[in-house]
Amino acid sequence: MAFPSQLGFQDAASPVMEELLTFHDHALMIVFMISALIGYFIIAMVTANLSDMYILDSQEIEIIWTVLPAVVLILIALPSLRILYLMDEVNDPHLTIKAMGHQWYWSYEYTDYENLEFDSYMIPTQDLAPGQFRLLEADHRLIVPAESPIRVLVSAEDVLHSWAVPALGVKMDAVPGRLNQTAFIASRPGVVYGQCSEICGANHSFMPIVVEAVPLQQFEDWSALMIQDA
Amino acid sequence: MSEEEQETKKGFRLLWILDVQKTPCAREALLHGAGGSVAAGLLHFLATSRVRRSFDVGFAGFMVTTLGSWFYCRINNAKLRVQQRMIQEGIKNKVMYEGSDLDPTKRPAAEKPPGPS
Repeated sequence: MAFPSQLGFQDAASPVMEELLTFHDHALMIVFMISALIGYFIIAMVTANLSDMYILDSQEIEIIWTVLPAVVLILIALPSLRILYLMDEVNDPHLTIKAMGHQWYWSYEYTDYENLEFDSYMIPTQDLAPGQFRLLEADHRLIVPAESPIRVLVSAEDVLHSWAVPALGVKMDAVPGRLNQTAFIASRPGVVYGQCSEICGANHSFMPIVVEAVPLQQFEDWSALMIQDA
Repeated sequence: MSEEEQETKKGFRLLWILDVQKTPCAREALLHGAGGSVAAGLLHFLATSRVRRSFDVGFAGFMVTTLGSWFYCRINNAKLRVQQRMIQEGIKNKVMYEGSDLDPTKRPAAEKPPGPS
């Protein structure tokens, strides 16, 4: 999860997010080099004693500053498109979960085998146990098996919401009357947090998403217990 | 443990852009770039005694060396990541298929030669 005054991304909890972090590092290095180059030009021009007013044209430098930016753009575009298509691959999910946005909570439905549904409300600050995170904890977590492709169908019952979990590299708008699909693989067991990412009213900031990836056996035990209790 | 946590949380952003401590290959690339820059600039100055042009050559050397080292390191890291994933998949498959008909290491039973009729 995020820590205070964090500027960068959270650690990746899915292969897609790892690829996104790698691409981000690549793009940032290019941005840094361009910034350093511009900074050097500025310093060189400011400290130069001579200014040449009589240069009319120069084919060589015109070619350089046309071709080089094109090459840089291609260097950025190719990895970007690769990740874009990677994220859209059909990955034969092991489990499908429906995430429905409401004002102001999420509800999850596991309907592949049995009907398992529950709501997920934020735990109010005054009810938090020591060590729990303010505005991020939910009373019922979305439990998923680790290392399994999961498909999430996102929609909403009232107004626009958005189901987002940064550590998994997932964000999908929840639109009333529309079913949006996204998918992820949790690389390892653990808990990752997200928050509603589309303004939806007074408590937009208070409807978090908590995904807990567990080993498959634990997931089966949990789902059996939930169905039994229902 | 607390010192490690502090180290992992603190990063150093060069030009407020690039976190050289947390970004893989960044620190090495920049150090190589700095060395290449000094070497290129110094050599040019020794050859030509032109100060401003030597600075320009030094900066160009920095760009070329940094980018070269960066991409070389990133490509090697990417190859290692692919190998890591293949090994992880192989270990998982080995655990799942060991002893079964799908075990790729299982040798087919040698056929007995037909006996005399």
